[in-house]
Amino acid sequence: MTSSALTRPGERERLSVKLTQIDWRLTALLCVIAGIGTAMLYSIAGGHWDPWAAKHLIRFGALLTMMLGLALVHPKWWFGAAYPLYGVLIVMVLLIEFTPLGYTAGGAKNWLNLGFIRIQPAEFMKLGLVLALARWYHSHSAQDARWSWKLVFPAGMIGLPFILVAKQPDLGSAMVIGLTGAAVMFLAGLSWRVIAAGAAAVVAIVPPFVMFGMHEYQRNRVLTFLSPESDPSGTGYNIIQSKIALGSGGLLGRGYGLGSQSQLEFLPERQTDFIFSTVSEEFGFVGSFTLLACYLAIILIALRISSLSHSHFGRISSAGMTAFFALFVLVNGAMVMGLAPVVGVPMPLLSYGGSSMMTVMIGFGLVLSTRVHRYVELPKGNGLI
Amino acid sequence: MSGEPSIFFADVNERQGSFLRRTFVVGGLTTLGVTALTIRLAQLQVVQAREYSTLASQNQFNFRLVPPPRGRILDRNGVTIAGNRPSFRVLVVRDETKDLDQTLDLLGRLLPDTLDRRRAIIRDVNAAPRFSPVPVKSDLTWEEFAKVNLYAPELPGVMADMNEARFYPYTGAFAHVIGYVAKVSDRDIKAIRDRGEEPPQILFNPGFRIGRSGVEKALDTDLRGEAGGTRVEVDARGRVVAEDVGGSRPAVPGKDVVLTLDADVQNRALEVFGDESGACVVMDVRNGDILCMMSAPSFDPNLFVSGVPTRTYRALADYERKPLLDKAINGTFPPGSTFKPATALALLAAGVDPADRVNCSGVFRTGQRCWGRHGSQDMHNAIKNSCDIYFYTMCNRAGVDLIRDTAMKLGFEHEFDIGVDNQRKGLLPSTEWKRRTFPRDPVWHPGETTSVAIGQGAVTVNALQLAVYTARLANGRKAIQPRLIKSVGGVDRPSGAEVPDLPFSVEHLDIVRGGMIAVANDRSGTAYRQSQLGLGDIQMAGKTGTAQTRNYGSGNRRSNVWSQKDHNLFIAFAPVDAPRYAVVVIIEHGGRGGGTAGAPRAREVMRTVLLKDPEMRERITRPPPPEATGPQIDEGEIGAAPESAIAPPAPSVPATPRPTSGPRPYLSGPQ
Repeated sequence: MTSSALTRPGERERLSVKLTQIDWRLTALLCVIAGIGTAMLYSIAGGHWDPWAAKHLIRFGALLTMMLGLALVHPKWWFGAAYPLYGVLIVMVLLIEFTPLGYTAGGAKNWLNLGFIRIQPAEFMKLGLVLALARWYHSHSAQDARWSWKLVFPAGMIGLPFILVAKQPDLGSAMVIGLTGAAVMFLAGLSWRVIAAGAAAVVAIVPPFVMFGMHEYQRNRVLTFLSPESDPSGTGYNIIQSKIALGSGGLLGRGYGLGSQSQLEFLPERQTDFIFSTVSEEFGFVGSFTLLACYLAIILIALRISSLSHSHFGRISSAGMTAFFALFVLVNGAMVMGLAPVVGVPMPLLSYGGSSMMTVMIGFGLVLSTRVHRYVELPKGNGLI
Repeated sequence: MSGEPSIFFADVNERQGSFLRRTFVVGGLTTLGVTALTIRLAQLQVVQAREYSTLASQNQFNFRLVPPPRGRILDRNGVTIAGNRPSFRVLVVRDETKDLDQTLDLLGRLLPDTLDRRRAIIRDVNAAPRFSPVPVKSDLTWEEFAKVNLYAPELPGVMADMNEARFYPYTGAFAHVIGYVAKVSDRDIKAIRDRGEEPPQILFNPGFRIGRSGVEKALDTDLRGEAGGTRVEVDARGRVVAEDVGGSRPAVPGKDVVLTLDADVQNRALEVFGDESGACVVMDVRNGDILCMMSAPSFDPNLFVSGVPTRTYRALADYERKPLLDKAINGTFPPGSTFKPATALALLAAGVDPADRVNCSGVFRTGQRCWGRHGSQDMHNAIKNSCDIYFYTMCNRAGVDLIRDTAMKLGFEHEFDIGVDNQRKGLLPSTEWKRRTFPRDPVWHPGETTSVAIGQGAVTVNALQLAVYTARLANGRKAIQPRLIKSVGGVDRPSGAEVPDLPFSVEHLDIVRGGMIAVANDRSGTAYRQSQLGLGDIQMAGKTGTAQTRNYGSGNRRSNVWSQKDHNLFIAFAPVDAPRYAVVVIIEHGGRGGGTAGAPRAREVMRTVLLKDPEMRERITRPPPPEATGPQIDEGEIGAAPESAIAPPAPSVPATPRPTSGPRPYLSGPQ
């Protein structure tokens, strides 16, 4: 927008102008991925819209509308909502942990049953965390962000939900929360020395934690990842079958609807965590590479958007969201290719599942809002923290 | 810090600059990560694609073996003596059941007897490979089959199907010669591996049967055929998604095996044996075809197909008459006086004049006794009367080695290639044998020849050898070989007729045969009354035999304890003028007197054989011209009326030995 500096006052607040500022390339890429997801869900259901494809498409449609709506929301509202949202989510997680409202599904007590609705606050926690951290960094200097005692606040903001979610025990979500938080701290300018020290600490802590601090099923997942062939019918089954699906796809794939691994259910969780394997099986290296390229394009575009923002809040929050999205893509990709343990991280927008899609779409709503309102300068904020 | 901005302009710039650099780092790292994933994808999808697509098709396609229908075993007239019948069975697939215990509980309500075998069933099911159906019960009645099918939807992992089971319609009659099939055991697999072969996959199919004895075992590979396979597409739970997806191979049915046996003769033989123990072999003297090879008492081989219950097996194994033993080829017996024609041939070969006479006073000079007081005997009479003294006196003119040599040429101590193993050769003693076996007393004493001469002592033979011997004597020229397997899969096995001549002069054979004809047709012959066929002018020749089963002089030979009685043997051939068939009957512990137990049974079997021969029937119905005279045979009480003679053998068994008024039984054997 070369005309930006010459815009008349109030011009940018007009709806028609705002709509032109929405990044339609990004939106289109999101639609492409969700479309591929729908097509794959249609394929693995044996050519039926039920039980996944139709719902996936409808959800995406609704969330796309919501995302575009959120793109028009002024950053001051995001800014204002950051801390309250974070606080509410922390309370929800605490409610799960300490009241009978907690609801167990799939080995982890990570649902909150409010009677009229059941939600998984851990999913939204990543959003709330990114917003809260962005608000905190918005109000603090580069010096503070690099290395100062004040960093205990962002560290605490990350650590509290991390511990609570890990206790549920939903290690996958906790890891994502931790890594997203770490990514935000990194983007905000954390000192390289501190990063090196932190990495060393992680290397020192993780192996003992795997052996002693984990639940049986979690440890099995990790150990199986290290050598999947040791237990081909048990926990190694997922990884082996996924690699077979990928490998048998070859260069050009076996054809849409013709992947035996996914069609005959050899591939587990093929509609959620392992949907990428289905794409790879049916469309081969060409198809899966194209898909990865789409994801990379989204990430790079979103990072570019964040760098254009005039407010630090906008920069940090949209880049944090992007980092979180990139984490999902890389961890899921590595998992289905046998490079990372099976941790239950879905491929965003491709996998079937409402919560994760909602989180991602809200996140992109924020990113688009950052672009639309990139000239807005937010006040430093009250001196709450 | 109220009035002053906490963040200065420079600081804001620094903050933004730092952020921008970090954004580049994050973008770079993400690009790096995606590149790593792409490299990994290329490795899996391009470099290792072939390997993984093999793995995928192993997942997707399953080769289900189709067992081949086992070849039938037929008799010479095409009558099925081992066939296949449909059998309904219930199978359990462990991985499709929700809970094996619960499934078996429910199944037990439908089929109560599966509860009794529950432990064995669970063992079998757990031993089977994943998703492979294990037969739990076979031979269901139609009602049971219908019931299981009806409840199948409520019993996941349980299915009922139809397959083929081996079936032996004549139950016991052929049990020994054709054997039976049974479950494949680990020992069968090991035996195949020991031969350095890889056992075919079909053997591991639950429910598959392997030939365990007799012809079923000997020709197992021919009868088995080749397993086919259907390539089916399966899903992750092993359920068949698509049948016959290409690449299927049809099963090659096993070859039919035609035997030389005649089912009617074999059945009749088993019938006339009644409760007696022993063996009966019938042979065509012209070509060696074995028409009957029967061992009694017998057992039902059908029991072994589905697995014989231990209790039944024990009863069979423990019975003193040994139903499980094949007495026709695997049981050896002393031949007794049936051996005397062989001794006579040896004497002739040694230059003994058949007209030379020996006076039988009833006691030999060593104290050995003859069973009668025969007076002056030449060779003809000695055979006719079965006079021991004659052979005691003459035997050393031939010597044991010549007797052995002659007997071997006639078929003794020989294992015949009839297609089935499990034969025992028996023994013909010789000086060499004595030297080898008794190092403490290696010299052959002439006194020992006497017992050999009358088929006692160490001499043992089996029923098949006796039949070959009789057939060779009857044939008179050819050293015919026995043949049991006529053809396999339509390809004929060589006949026993294309063999070299016997190394004996025709005159010598005629002398011996003359003696055997007299046994059965001279009124003073040892088996005259029991050897009358009652079939027109067809006459039978024979030789009786009584073989001691206990050591000489070790007690009362008139004992009524079954296991202490003598063996009773009879060899016969007919018709005497143009011999066609040889019949051998061995009655284990049948009692003394060759004519008493053996001869009447041999006659009944011979009648059956002759009546099955169309040329013989023609000869009986059209009596020969009046000048052709044979011995008077129409005695009414023995001979059958001509009308009934034409009809197939009457089921009424006139085989019960009649009290002998003629020749008296042996009083004692050689001491």
